[in-house]
Amino acid sequence: MTVDVSSPVQTAIGGSPNVIDALDLILTVDQVRRYFGGVKALDSVNFSLARGEVHALVGENGAGKSTLIKILSGAIRRDAGDIVLEGQAFDPTTPHDAKLLGVQVVHQEFNLLNDLSVAENISIEALPRRFGLLDKAELNRRARLALDAIGLGELDVATPVSKLGIAHKQLIEIARALQSESRILILDEPTATLTERETRRLFDIIDDIKKKGVTIVFVSHHLEEVFAICDRVTVFRNGQTVTTQTIKDSTPKNIVQHMVGRTFETRTRNRQAVDSDDEVVLRVDQLRTSVCPHPDGVSFQVRRGEIVGIAGLVGAGRTEVLRALFGADRPQSGTINLHGKLLTLKGPGDAITAGIGFVTEDRKEEGLILAMDLTANTSLANLGSVSSAGLLDFGAERRMAKSGGERLNLKYGQLSNPATSLSGGNQQKIVLAKWLARNPQLLLLDEPTRGVDVGAKAEIYTILEGLANQGVAMLVVSSELPELMTLADRILVMADHVFQGELARSEFSQASILALAYGQTPEHLPDREGPQQ
Amino acid sequence: MSDSQTTATPDLQQGGISLRGVINSAGIGLALLLLIVFFSFASEHFLAPNNITNILTQITINLILAVGMTFVILIGGIDLSVGSVMAFAAVVAGKAITLPGLGPVELILLATTAGLLAGLACGMLNGFLSAYWSLPSFIITLGMLNIARGAALQVSDAQTIYSFPRAFENFGSLLIYGVPVVFLVALALVVIAWFVLNRTVFGRIVYGIGSNEEAVRLAGHDVFVYKVAAFSICGLTAGIAAIIYMARLNISSPIAGIGFELNAIAAVIIGGTSLSGGRGSVIGTLLGAFIIGVLANGLILIGLSDFMRQMITGVVIVVAVVLDYYRARLAGNGR
Repeated sequence: MTVDVSSPVQTAIGGSPNVIDALDLILTVDQVRRYFGGVKALDSVNFSLARGEVHALVGENGAGKSTLIKILSGAIRRDAGDIVLEGQAFDPTTPHDAKLLGVQVVHQEFNLLNDLSVAENISIEALPRRFGLLDKAELNRRARLALDAIGLGELDVATPVSKLGIAHKQLIEIARALQSESRILILDEPTATLTERETRRLFDIIDDIKKKGVTIVFVSHHLEEVFAICDRVTVFRNGQTVTTQTIKDSTPKNIVQHMVGRTFETRTRNRQAVDSDDEVVLRVDQLRTSVCPHPDGVSFQVRRGEIVGIAGLVGAGRTEVLRALFGADRPQSGTINLHGKLLTLKGPGDAITAGIGFVTEDRKEEGLILAMDLTANTSLANLGSVSSAGLLDFGAERRMAKSGGERLNLKYGQLSNPATSLSGGNQQKIVLAKWLARNPQLLLLDEPTRGVDVGAKAEIYTILEGLANQGVAMLVVSSELPELMTLADRILVMADHVFQGELARSEFSQASILALAYGQTPEHLPDREGPQQ
Repeated sequence: MSDSQTTATPDLQQGGISLRGVINSAGIGLALLLLIVFFSFASEHFLAPNNITNILTQITINLILAVGMTFVILIGGIDLSVGSVMAFAAVVAGKAITLPGLGPVELILLATTAGLLAGLACGMLNGFLSAYWSLPSFIITLGMLNIARGAALQVSDAQTIYSFPRAFENFGSLLIYGVPVVFLVALALVVIAWFVLNRTVFGRIVYGIGSNEEAVRLAGHDVFVYKVAAFSICGLTAGIAAIIYMARLNISSPIAGIGFELNAIAAVIIGGTSLSGGRGSVIGTLLGAFIIGVLANGLILIGLSDFMRQMITGVVIVVAVVLDYYRARLAGNGR
């Protein structure tokens, strides 16, 4: 079931003058394009900011939000299109330029100097001087004002930043951005690391800043937040802006449809059912990972051809379980049985020999050697079978890469191209090909479709389902609930390093999974389908 | 926008690669060629057979050390101790070769074995200490630089050792058609290293560790073993350099090789191997050693002072590193 959104019901961008004219525009972005090599990152982006509004940018990974932010902040330049800031052409060539013109970005990654104090960090861009020396009194006075302005009255300005929690660091970044005259403040996923209470506080601060006439661009992956504090929202898809809507006339469901381009298709599962008498491939008893605080750890099993999902919030300990099963980290205690035999893992090598594969969360840091070619990346975990007496057989290696590529429908130029030449989805397929070349009996997958576009995602699902049908047992960690609900036969929900509950396929729902992930029992959870507020 | 779904256009990629290739290997070869052409016009003696023999002799030790250094730099490490380790190995071999009561063949075999083992042991220790605790090899090998030098002085009682068997001394000055045999030994090491780095699983993993150690570890390879091996190879080549050094100069001195590590590192870097590891080749190292050797020799011939020579060599190193910066940018194009 697909809903057609090609004829937008909502106001198209720039259209419907009665809406836009009513707004006091501070910034307009018209037909902006940006290419990286031959790849289109932004393809016709149009949107506008009204003075004093909170404007959300939403869209899937790679839809173009961060590229636009980089252009607005002067980090990169556009290839075509116009940007007008308060009637003047806006064309910053460096982040410093953009700041002088009043456009400030608070990035997701912190740019704080950890060993310096809060006060020094806040004024680092223009340290107050007296007779050429640092004016400490003025420094502290400014910091005090800046902190009071964002409701951090209790924080000592002399505290080194390294002593602060993540939430405070985020707020310090905002305080710093507000130091200079900001006309437009861009917050790039400011709530990603915040707790609910801290998020509420941030929202109060945003409200305050807004009242002072500052325009705020708010990038978030949480629609509830967008609907809680934003005035308007612009949706990105494949490098284009597809719609701008007024929040009070929109619904989260509608926004999601625009992001995806169609509603989530209920995929027909192409899977054989797992029998309760199928062989148990993996049995884990009381496994305590290196960071697990609970004496009992986790216990579970995975049968032949079964896909078991592990859901949970970031930091719940999901990745740690996979890493322990792969021998990447040593657990505190517990036993792992593979095919009924006790497994002793001294390192990943032992796990691989035993028939386990691990598709890691971060393919660039852990999965691929980006500078090496596709062939070398495919054979990396399987060099023994393409060599004899330590000598590489390049022919055999190429054949392995070629057949792996065919099996996974890999789209590539040449096998001799570096892994960087591929898109995210195809890079992920290379990681899969690496493990499939070993015919693993147990495959551990950590966020298998992170940063992968919708089309490649569906392909990866088909591949994994095919593997399950061939009898491969799988353990899938994912933060995308629709993904787990599509793939998994069962979902184990983790919270604080233990399993909070287990859901059978008939019990799957986003609400029940989230309830367990938040440490509640499903009955207590509000229905998340409608807009919250 | 690395996650965008468009596959990169193949022709664009190949453009990037060929350009990179040009700068990478041809660029160094071209630079060497230009140097040779320049000096052959600037000095009539430059291309004289005698002088060519000279150049080959002069670069031999540095080339041998640089071959081992290539392995260490490729895994993302550095070895500052090779000069001292060479001196230590030379002193150990010198003690062995002057033992009383043995025939020349036994003495030469014993001394060679002892020297190589001494170098290997130092390299292995470097590798073990830095890999086991994941300590920066810069610091560990800086320590070894002092330890090996001190050990060399201690073992030799700060005395130069001499009077080696005649056959051993002859080997050091043997020429085949004007080519020093000791240079052929160095060239053989280059060929072996090239083969190991490009044709074996070991070489593949060495490159992999320099690019992305964690990915290599998670692909089931014991990174520790490979790191120790790379440092051991470097120590072993320092041992080989010690034997060649003794055969050429007919002495073994505890103060030999001071500063040699810097020349070896320079040859590797000028040869296009990235200081951060993962990229480079031993052929580049060969060319890098030649560039340093030709520069040193040619600049003397055209009458430049020792000081000017040093300055120019320094400039070449800096230029090589700047080139490496652009190479790295090309390698990660679009990112």
